[in-house]
Amino acid sequence: MIEPKMKTINVEDYAVREHRSLWLDAWRRLTANRTAMIGLIVVAIFIFSATFAHFFWEYNPKSDLDYGAKLLPPQLIVSEEVPDIHIFGTDKLGRDIFRRVVHGGWNSLRVGLVAVGISLIAGGILGLLAGFFEGIDMNFYESLALMTLLGLGLGALPAWIAKQTFQIFLFAFLGAGSVLLNRFEDSRRLPRLIIFPLIGAVMGGIPGLFVAPLVGFVCGVLGLVIGYLLARPVAGGVFSNIVMRFMDVILSFPSYLLAIAIVAFLGPGLDKGMIAIGVVGIPIYARLARSAVLSVSQKEYVLAAQAVGESHGRILFRHIVPNILSPIIVQATMGLANAILSAAALGFLGLGAVPPEPEWGAMLGDSYKYLSSGAWWAVLFPGLAIMLSVLGFNLLGDGLRDALDPKIRV
Amino acid sequence: MGRYILRRLLSVIPTLIGVTLIIFIFQRLIPGDPAVAMLGEHATEENVARIREQFGLDRPAFLDRDALAEGDLTGFFDSQYTRYFSRLLHFDLGESIHKRIPVAETLSQRFPATIELSLLSMVIALLIGIPIGIASASRRNTALDGITMVGSLVGVSMPIFWLGIMEIMLFAVFLQWLPAGGRLSSGVNIESITNLYLLDSLLTGNIPGFIDAVKHIILPAIALSTIPAAIITRMTRSSMLDVLQEDYIRTASAKGLSERVVLFRHALKNAFLPVITIIGLQAGTLLAGAVLTETIFSWPGIGKWVYDSILGRDYPIVQGVTLLIALIFLLVNLAVDLSYVILDPRISYD
Repeated sequence: MIEPKMKTINVEDYAVREHRSLWLDAWRRLTANRTAMIGLIVVAIFIFSATFAHFFWEYNPKSDLDYGAKLLPPQLIVSEEVPDIHIFGTDKLGRDIFRRVVHGGWNSLRVGLVAVGISLIAGGILGLLAGFFEGIDMNFYESLALMTLLGLGLGALPAWIAKQTFQIFLFAFLGAGSVLLNRFEDSRRLPRLIIFPLIGAVMGGIPGLFVAPLVGFVCGVLGLVIGYLLARPVAGGVFSNIVMRFMDVILSFPSYLLAIAIVAFLGPGLDKGMIAIGVVGIPIYARLARSAVLSVSQKEYVLAAQAVGESHGRILFRHIVPNILSPIIVQATMGLANAILSAAALGFLGLGAVPPEPEWGAMLGDSYKYLSSGAWWAVLFPGLAIMLSVLGFNLLGDGLRDALDPKIRV
Repeated sequence: MGRYILRRLLSVIPTLIGVTLIIFIFQRLIPGDPAVAMLGEHATEENVARIREQFGLDRPAFLDRDALAEGDLTGFFDSQYTRYFSRLLHFDLGESIHKRIPVAETLSQRFPATIELSLLSMVIALLIGIPIGIASASRRNTALDGITMVGSLVGVSMPIFWLGIMEIMLFAVFLQWLPAGGRLSSGVNIESITNLYLLDSLLTGNIPGFIDAVKHIILPAIALSTIPAAIITRMTRSSMLDVLQEDYIRTASAKGLSERVVLFRHALKNAFLPVITIIGLQAGTLLAGAVLTETIFSWPGIGKWVYDSILGRDYPIVQGVTLLIALIFLLVNLAVDLSYVILDPRISYD
């Protein structure tokens, strides 16, 4: 018979166990993960060197020119013939590649942060609201706001056609009226689906008649349809549906093809690139936030918060947002990697940073035409910088996913 | 099921209209007057007005409310967008600004080159991704698994344009084993049947032509397949890991089936659904990545064409190709959705 191993358990150890927050816990798991730490270190090096260079290592790309030092290979030791060392070599204009790679990091990180910021804020808010109102019934004021906005939006069409701005407000009142009517017990007996379209037709048609008979007719028909749509207050699911269908349209383009196309039409530039990459990323965050909110909104703690009558804003920001942060943080970290990659691709195609501004992708695009001269260093180092920084963010994101949600290990 | 397929097919229509709207709006993003851009700075006002009328640029963007006020109902709907849309329904993608050749005509010549490159890249990605993903999942937490995970992350982080440049540097400039670009060496001819050179040369028994075509396609195909291969590896691995924990896998192993049978017959079949979704999504990566890869390797497909057109400000081409790629992407993902119904009888719709 085997003796069971006995372990002495000191109950007090458990009783006085220190309090550990979720974030501290996650941080410990992250630091215990070797690959994640490598990612963190790589990211830290890039952030530090780029920031340091930007503020303390002056560089003027416009005056940086030295044809005498054209296409020099990497040199580590100072000698009589080569008084200046270029550890990454020089490019076709004699510019030190190391210096440009370090300074280029500032541009890449800036693009990444701004682009992710745009997608995160716009997509996050849209997804939060869509998920929240799909999972939780709207209250009176929210319904009022939604229907008024719907009235404003739909009314804009007949108002624009008839060149009569006040029509917008008429339809907004119609939308608000539809919600207000619900407050009266007797309203159920009203044949709304007949009354509202008729009011709508009058609102659109009569003012339109003052412009021209045909305008009156078209606006009347539009008013009829809008009245029908506004007859009953719509549920939050409709709002969610409208938002998500719109996101689907953006998602039906392969992501950075859309970014390329937007910049192609807007004209090249780092700022336009940031906006394009940011806009293209919006649906990812919207979808993520919506599905996370939906999965949380039926949890007991949210139901309990509803039961004790907490306001919707409080439920959203105190109970839901903290609980959906982790997937969003992970996505944002990976999103930074993607944004840097997309920005480099745009720069490579000549659509991002405008030369001579140092930017990794643009440096590659600049130098690869001189490949046959055998200047491997001019393309190796900028590309390596792109790959390593992207890899750093990806490793970190991967580690964060494991650290923030120990249940899921992908 | 029939009803589900029909509903899913119909649901593509509003998305497609949305796509045409976005592409139409692109045109309005261009700073300056397109008619002036077409004729150059020194065009006379009459010529500009003539071009504006010829291309419908004098029409309003969506609806003409002034025509309505004058009692003209058809004029109301006669706008730039409706004209654009009705041209699309006739497969008319407009004309190249510089060469005055219909976009659709050049597209049909150039598209097979992109298809050939993308298909081969996808085949490479599948041949790498699925076996490695399976091996890594079945030997979890071993050195092989670790290398796979890090390797796939490196693959996802790879700027493919840089990889392409490094390939050219190594194999074309230094070693001089393979050509740096193009689809065929000059002097080599392949009789065109499908315009997919690999297939055509085999069909006509043109072995030297086939070898030359392979030499040209191999570098761009490897560059283009990197990211899909890495993503497919990760997806196969994680999906297999999920399935391998199921009871029926333990049962199959317990009753003494060989590891190979358990892995391939029991696990892989069930792990394949999420992998298919990812494969569908990679179609977009491939087609968008073609812009970069084709540019580097001077591959005469639609990607390089778009790049040249962006530089030449030939917007109808950019619009046409973007629309085509979005359409293909939509259809591939539709096919993926529909394949679920066939692959997994447990999924029932309606």
